[in-house]
Amino acid sequence: MKLFRPATLSFFVALALTTFAVPLQAAEIAKTEHVTARLISDARSVEAGGTITVGLHKIIKPRWHTYWQNSGDAGTPTSIAWTLPAGASAGEILWPAPKRIMIGPVANYGYEDDVTLLTVIKLPETLRAGDSFPIKAVVDWLVCEEICIPEQVTLELTLPVVAKGFSTGISIREIESARAKLPVENAWPFTANAANGKIELAAASSDISRTKIKSAQFFPSDWGVIKHAANQPLVVRDGELSLALDPYEQKVPPTLRGVLVVDEANGTRTTQTAYAVDAPLTGAFTAQNTFAMPQIGMLTALAFALLGGIILNLMPCVFPVLSIKVLSLLNHSRMGYRQRHFHGLAYTAGVLACFGVFAAIVLAVKAGGAELGWGFQFQSPLFVLLLAYLIFAVGLSQSGLIAFGGSLSRLGAYGGNDGYGMSFLAGALAAVVATPCTAPFMGTALGFAVAQPAPVLFAIFLALGLGLALPYLLLCYFPVLLRFLPRPGPWMERLKQALAFPMYATAIWLVWVLAQQAGANAVAAALVGMLLIAFGAWIFTSAGKSWRIANFSLAAVSIVAALAIGVYFVKDAAAPEQTADANARYEAFSPTRLEELRAQNRPVFVNLTAAWCITCLVNERVALERANVISAFEAANIAYLKGDWTHRDPAITQMLAKFGRNGVPLYVFYPAGASAQPVVLPQILTPEIVLREIGQSKTARIEN
Amino acid sequence: MIKKLIATAALTTILALPATASPDIGREAPNFTARTADGKMLDLKSLRGKIVVLEWTNHDCPYVKMHYGANNMQSTQKAATGQGVVWLQVISSPQGKQGFLEGPAAIKKNEERNAVPTNVVLDPDGKVGSLYGAQTTPHMYVIDAKGTLVYKGGIDSIPSYRADSLPKAVNYVRETLAAIAANKPVPNPSTRAYGCTIHYGS
Repeated sequence: MKLFRPATLSFFVALALTTFAVPLQAAEIAKTEHVTARLISDARSVEAGGTITVGLHKIIKPRWHTYWQNSGDAGTPTSIAWTLPAGASAGEILWPAPKRIMIGPVANYGYEDDVTLLTVIKLPETLRAGDSFPIKAVVDWLVCEEICIPEQVTLELTLPVVAKGFSTGISIREIESARAKLPVENAWPFTANAANGKIELAAASSDISRTKIKSAQFFPSDWGVIKHAANQPLVVRDGELSLALDPYEQKVPPTLRGVLVVDEANGTRTTQTAYAVDAPLTGAFTAQNTFAMPQIGMLTALAFALLGGIILNLMPCVFPVLSIKVLSLLNHSRMGYRQRHFHGLAYTAGVLACFGVFAAIVLAVKAGGAELGWGFQFQSPLFVLLLAYLIFAVGLSQSGLIAFGGSLSRLGAYGGNDGYGMSFLAGALAAVVATPCTAPFMGTALGFAVAQPAPVLFAIFLALGLGLALPYLLLCYFPVLLRFLPRPGPWMERLKQALAFPMYATAIWLVWVLAQQAGANAVAAALVGMLLIAFGAWIFTSAGKSWRIANFSLAAVSIVAALAIGVYFVKDAAAPEQTADANARYEAFSPTRLEELRAQNRPVFVNLTAAWCITCLVNERVALERANVISAFEAANIAYLKGDWTHRDPAITQMLAKFGRNGVPLYVFYPAGASAQPVVLPQILTPEIVLREIGQSKTARIEN
Repeated sequence: MIKKLIATAALTTILALPATASPDIGREAPNFTARTADGKMLDLKSLRGKIVVLEWTNHDCPYVKMHYGANNMQSTQKAATGQGVVWLQVISSPQGKQGFLEGPAAIKKNEERNAVPTNVVLDPDGKVGSLYGAQTTPHMYVIDAKGTLVYKGGIDSIPSYRADSLPKAVNYVRETLAAIAANKPVPNPSTRAYGCTIHYGS
């Protein structure tokens, strides 16, 4: 006969143990030269099927450090090998927020002073009250100051097993403080986007306050995601924050994982919180294409856009239009300042309106999932045709053929107040004809712009427009500047007529672009259309008073016919077949071909161009088609790939985006070797620049 | 005037590209001239035509000690130099810091541990180290016969200072040299360098 049933016995044992067993759980301490380590637990006693948290508490010698789960540029994380009774299991180490320890140019992630690494241990159902539960940990760490010492200790901790429902916990300061430093899961929704050579890590939450957040630093869980030593510029607004991270040169994983450590002011104190980050990485930069692009911020992009716009005035597309406006300003130098100002503003408004429309179209198309680049409108043959007509008509008016009131000739004229409308149109025309040109700085700014939200995109496009309008606007506001120009005289009429010829040349060029886009019939149609426009203009201008209405009608009919014929032939024309020229020095660009050539270890030069891109054509003429450049290509066995963006081509648009660009030209040189980093050449080439960049560059780039 | 403006603009565009800390794979390896343990001056360029391995080292660093203690580094050196590869140890520790050695001491150290590098580059001012962006010991670089940098990173695939990692690890220097010999692309041209931090003198 039994005096006690087992359960009753367990109860007494449990009671006895919880009351008297406290000395048993004194954690064993191990001391090395640099670290004092201790095993601690949040349990006084354990029970079958329970879960406990065990902490490895380290007190580290001042100025020395041990490492986090990602040790950074050097070092190795602490590791723990557990020996537990059968059926028990230990989880992964739970790492409190680390700090970045800089040693010269090297960044390490770890802990100084003291740290507690937590591990959750699950106990088996087979434990019986009255047993003991021994925990053994063999701990390896590398502890470093100036030098590194690997150390190993063995720690043991034994906990009593009590009956189910009777285990008791204990609050240990080190474990609590380590818990407070663990990354908080799912507190803030994070997004990670790769663009413009950076990974932008952003969080949106009503908790985020601009005045409270003092600093933030991201620690990636894995090595090889970001450059550990790079600065992480922080932008905080109320409700959102973002950090710009420098990607490591090679692999950017599909998901950005790690910890964001944020210091917040709380009254007079600063509190630190770690947030777990696990965000899919979106954007143009994925694993394959982590090319380091020009890294610019918004202000730089705006400055570049403004500067690019100003330089556009010197480009062959815009110069004639600008000249006409300046001439008319000279002609009316006695005009009142108020009128002059209004003309300047009207012109500027015309330019800006046009650029605003460009931006809106780019946004609309972007919203539809497709991509457009700078000069996209030239990819439409219809647009090219209509612009050819317009330019031709402006040329005719310069030549003096069209001279009716309110006509195109007054694009450059001042009349009464209605002249402002003409100034507006001249601005719009300048903007439209500017698009086939890419000026220095512009590419970078526009590449930045298209990856940005709508307001930034608009701001950058408008900055570009403002740059374009600025020289004329300044002349209107500071007529003093006009004194640097020759005095008005009969030469102006001759110059005006002379400037008709660049207009005709532009029209010829546009027809040539049309030939490539829509074939020979479209060219014929365009030329017939121009004939009709010239005819209509002549009829109208030469008409006597009596037949005025008839002549006007005839002129109108001929203009309408010009449009109808052009539109009819151009609209449905298929692009002429690209015939491959066996002797051509280049092959057509395709991403597959590029990969093939690179896999063969050949150096590759990629030229992305378009027939309507004047800058591109000039570069080919003055640099890429020079004999010494051609022979250098041959000598180095460089494969030359040419991508023609005259029509829309998503493969080329993507290639441009990969390099942070939004328009042609783009010149990229891939040195031999499948993993060689591509080199981006400037947008204005000289033979010297090309030769230097294509590996005839024997001067090493020394960069620190 | 306009020409000058355009040139300036083009230059600015080039300069807008970021500088990277370590040299690029597939580009010419940065050249250096430095004193070696035998007291001579070595110009990297004079080694054109030969494959060159650079091994950043600090004989007291636990990671380095493990690779030498297990004879892993020496056997890799032997295999490489046996094929005509030039193997240069580089010591970037400044005087007074761990790993610093004068020429004779460096030679003696190698004799003691049966190490067979072709030569030891003494870089106490850290110039060569910062030119290559060397961060750890060991930190390995391989330059092909044309002078192109074809590998940078760790000695092998498992970051550890414990010898039990060696049987499972892929030795990247051996892998790179085998790929060059077979005229194939280097399978892992840029890997994680692991080890002790190099303390550059200021």
